[in-house]
Amino acid sequence: MLEDLEQIHRSASNEAASLPDETALEDFRVRYLGKKGALTSAAAQMKDLAPADRPAFGQKLNEIRSAISAAIEERRASLLAARDARAARGIDPTLPARSLPQGSLHPLSQVLDRAVDTLRRMGFALAEGPEIETEWHCFDALNTPPDHPARKESDTYYFPGGNLLRTHTSTVQIRTMESASSLPVRIIAPGTAFRRDEIDETHSISFTQLEGLFVDREVGLADLKGTLEAFFQVIFGSGTEVRFRPHFFPFTEPSFEIDVKLKTVGRAERWVEIAGCGLVDPAVFAAVCQSRGDDLFHPDRVTGFAFGMGVDRLAMIQYGIPDLRLFNENDVRFLRQFA
Amino acid sequence: MKASLRWLNDHLDLSAKSIPEMAALLTAAGIEVEGIQCPPDHVVVARIESSERHPDADKLSVCQVNDGGATPRQIVCGAKNYEVGDHVPLALPGARIGDMVIKTGKLRGVESQGMLCSARELGLSEDASGLLILPRDLPPGTSFAQVHPPVFDLEITPNRPDLLSHLGLARELSALTGIRLKRPPVFTSTAPGRAAKSSEISLQDRETCSFYSARILRGVKVGPSPDWLRDKLQAIGLRPINNVVDITNFILMEMGQPLHAFDLSLLKGGIRVRRAGEGEKFTALDGRTHLLTPDDCVIADSKGAQALGGVMGGESSGVTEATTDILLEAAYFEPSLIRRTSHRHGIHTDSSYRFERGVDPAQVMAASEAAARLVLELAGGQLEGVPVWCGELPSTSVTVPLDNALCRRLLGSPIPPAEIGRILKAFGLQKESDGWRIPSYRLDLRRPVDLVEEVARVHGLDRIPGKTTAPFVPPSRADQEYDFRRALRTRLGHLGFHECQTIKLISEAQLALDVATQHRNLSPLRVKNPMTEPHTFLRPGLTPSLLRIAEHNVRMGTSDLRLFEIGTVFAASPKGQPIELQHLALVATGRLEPPSWRASKPDLFDFAALRGLLEQLCPGQAIDLLPIEDPRLLLAAEIKVGGGKVGLAGCLLPATARSLDLDQPVLVAEIGIKKLMAALGSPSLFHPLPRFPAITRDVAIEAPADLPGQAISDFFQSSGEPLLESFRLFDLFVDPTGTRLAADRKSLAWSLTYRSATETLAAPQVDAAHGRLLDRLKAALPITFR
Repeated sequence: MLEDLEQIHRSASNEAASLPDETALEDFRVRYLGKKGALTSAAAQMKDLAPADRPAFGQKLNEIRSAISAAIEERRASLLAARDARAARGIDPTLPARSLPQGSLHPLSQVLDRAVDTLRRMGFALAEGPEIETEWHCFDALNTPPDHPARKESDTYYFPGGNLLRTHTSTVQIRTMESASSLPVRIIAPGTAFRRDEIDETHSISFTQLEGLFVDREVGLADLKGTLEAFFQVIFGSGTEVRFRPHFFPFTEPSFEIDVKLKTVGRAERWVEIAGCGLVDPAVFAAVCQSRGDDLFHPDRVTGFAFGMGVDRLAMIQYGIPDLRLFNENDVRFLRQFA
Repeated sequence: MKASLRWLNDHLDLSAKSIPEMAALLTAAGIEVEGIQCPPDHVVVARIESSERHPDADKLSVCQVNDGGATPRQIVCGAKNYEVGDHVPLALPGARIGDMVIKTGKLRGVESQGMLCSARELGLSEDASGLLILPRDLPPGTSFAQVHPPVFDLEITPNRPDLLSHLGLARELSALTGIRLKRPPVFTSTAPGRAAKSSEISLQDRETCSFYSARILRGVKVGPSPDWLRDKLQAIGLRPINNVVDITNFILMEMGQPLHAFDLSLLKGGIRVRRAGEGEKFTALDGRTHLLTPDDCVIADSKGAQALGGVMGGESSGVTEATTDILLEAAYFEPSLIRRTSHRHGIHTDSSYRFERGVDPAQVMAASEAAARLVLELAGGQLEGVPVWCGELPSTSVTVPLDNALCRRLLGSPIPPAEIGRILKAFGLQKESDGWRIPSYRLDLRRPVDLVEEVARVHGLDRIPGKTTAPFVPPSRADQEYDFRRALRTRLGHLGFHECQTIKLISEAQLALDVATQHRNLSPLRVKNPMTEPHTFLRPGLTPSLLRIAEHNVRMGTSDLRLFEIGTVFAASPKGQPIELQHLALVATGRLEPPSWRASKPDLFDFAALRGLLEQLCPGQAIDLLPIEDPRLLLAAEIKVGGGKVGLAGCLLPATARSLDLDQPVLVAEIGIKKLMAALGSPSLFHPLPRFPAITRDVAIEAPADLPGQAISDFFQSSGEPLLESFRLFDLFVDPTGTRLAADRKSLAWSLTYRSATETLAAPQVDAAHGRLLDRLKAALPITFR
């Protein structure tokens, strides 16, 4: 009987090392260790032995089972090692990708997001107002004379009832101050403005503006300068020169235009006009007071600064985009460039 | 406003300032330099000594010119407007004329050692009709830069009409640089004149014209102006006409006061300043006839309108070579009324430009006097009597208090009172006991804040230290909404979608493609004064514009498209109130992934993919798509997120898709941002993770082809079977031929997952639950199991 066991052990040992693959190995395992395997049937013979011989037989049986299991594991390991060694064979890493669809955010969104992030870090909260506006919010409250050219139907889109499409986001200054419950007011308002204009490389009938307003008891030119200088140095790089050129807007006094000195590779340094700003004109505060019916924004008690810039222009400068129309054409070959 | 440096030099000595210094000075003071006309280098004055026809070209001449050197220079020239002896500009080799660098070369075989130039070639005017003929007193060889000193093209802001003259600019430059003016800052009138008799001037429209004056000059000899005057006008782009007209233009550009000269013999009766009659005809100096309205002010005689007040003179009474007697008008017009007239008739003149912004009332009479003096000097004749006038000039006596506290508050840093005083004095303001007296020409200084502005402008922001501390402001509702939209944008970008931004005005035709708006009971808003048909309506939805973008991209060769836009849509409520909402729209069509060697025929984006996309946009939320009928869509479904309707999804009619050149499914969705935000608003709560293994059972269900799949998933969802954890459709089989399955049936294979939260399930437990569930399913729906 023990002879039989030895015989099984020998043939198994010989065979295990030469099994060609994992299927053969599994087949081998079933043949020897499976329910109907050789060792299992050998074990069944134990009941025919004399009780005195059984322990020795049992011990031998266990030894052989362990040995065959070990041989199987050893062979499995070497087969896996061989398969792993083959795994990279035939793969050509220089072939092109299997890619997934790639999306993108519109360049105007990216520029706006960056501006908004920067100004939020500087403590501005967002504000908004309607794009269909009253003439009062768009012009009167912003100290625009009654016969100002911007009010004309040739320049501004109107609706039959007298409402209009806002020509600037400065309307949000008025909307915000009208509904503010306390000071300070420190807001930015991105949004669309509309002008009745011929569409060409540098003109459109609508564009994205970013408006800002800070009103408190003691807000002056120092705040205006510090804030906007810091802002443009984030947008255009630290050390960027920022200059404030006196200008005129009806709703600020004094008023400035802001230029930054651009240092584009391959181009001469140049000053580029980038924004308008100024201290809120007392007439604007007076209009807000009249509308609110209280004195929270009385021109003797509060001062403030306001600024506005064209996001389209910012994006054109930052990305070197020559034609405004590309923004609204939304050609995916264009959009992909900013993915 | 064009300003000639030489002209400015009549008023103050700017010779120490270079052109870039001047430009920087003006810019820093808020006077934007839009351009500097500067003649090119290497251009000199030359005298034409001889001119002969080119041997081989009829249209060319060969000239010998004196360029100031010892030997004559030979130039081949195509112009015809000169005579031998004329002085003309000569570009020497090396000069840059436009984009061309002048070289010695041969023209039709004859050597030309330079080029004779027209005014246009030198960038001086549009006149390209021939050579620019120069005064003969300029010695040959004189650098042309001395003949035509630079001219600045300046943008004057509307608050500073006082800068619309050389005198005004000189005053400003003097204040900014400290360089003394050579003459007093204002002209003063020596002859006060007398009030006009009503037969002389009848001032009926005092609303538009508060003051009107006239001087009569007789025996005037009209003719060409002297060179100095012609040069001055030409340098700033004005065409010389005759001495009298040139003088009025000169005074306009010198002092900023528009004047008009009438041929007195062509006027009948006295001057009447009145409103025009409805439909009154007026033919202006430029020959155009205008139909006037009672809102226009005219200067008339007994025959009719002879000038459109403050805007333009008339054709029938202008000064010509035949004129001997003139009436010189100097008046003050109300800015807003001139602006309206000028815009109404589309006539924009140097005169209307200045009256619209406001002229210096104190100089009206002085300007007329200065002009009359020049006429006498250059055209002879004599004054008849004293000037006569009617009406009243606006008061110029204004005193504005300087509020030191305001000054400190606005400037944010203390500027010494002495410095403030120095700045204001430099601008001609005079300190008085109750404030600062404002000069008559500074119409813009009326309030304390205007004085602060003046100080800030000169002091300069660069000398004020910037401040960056600020109070804390809590985030707003607008902040939350912006962040929500931004998260959505970012997520869509990651899902392969390109963000678009389109113009919010669309065409009427596009409204028909507005397949997906949720406010169909609202009407689209049309602007009253559209500019062009493509931009007539405010978009009621984003889909029409996105489909237009898809069309463009298909035409450009891309038909695998995933586009989205987030933005405002507009409509009018039933009561006519405008409504503005934020929407998200998606358009998807084409292959699910770019074809590659690994997947050469990827599946197309279809309704199931759109549903998958919506699920990815709303993670953790139950998405329902409830089919609805919409004749404009092949498939349409309301989108519900977490039980609330948020928008509409659909597949375009194949005909619509083909009209976009797409022969493949085009999926669209349009969603209200506010509704989506509400549906996704509550933060996720933690659910304990399952501890025990799950067991799955598959079932193939045969159902009528028209039974919505939703009926089965709804059954599972609401089955109440406690062990059923989840269910998943993993196969759909139909056979239109009817061989393997009846054509009106479909087979749906579902995989059901069972799990207990408290124990490891045994197979019999699961089998029992599965059996119960299927029995109930069979009872509930017209289905069988395969």
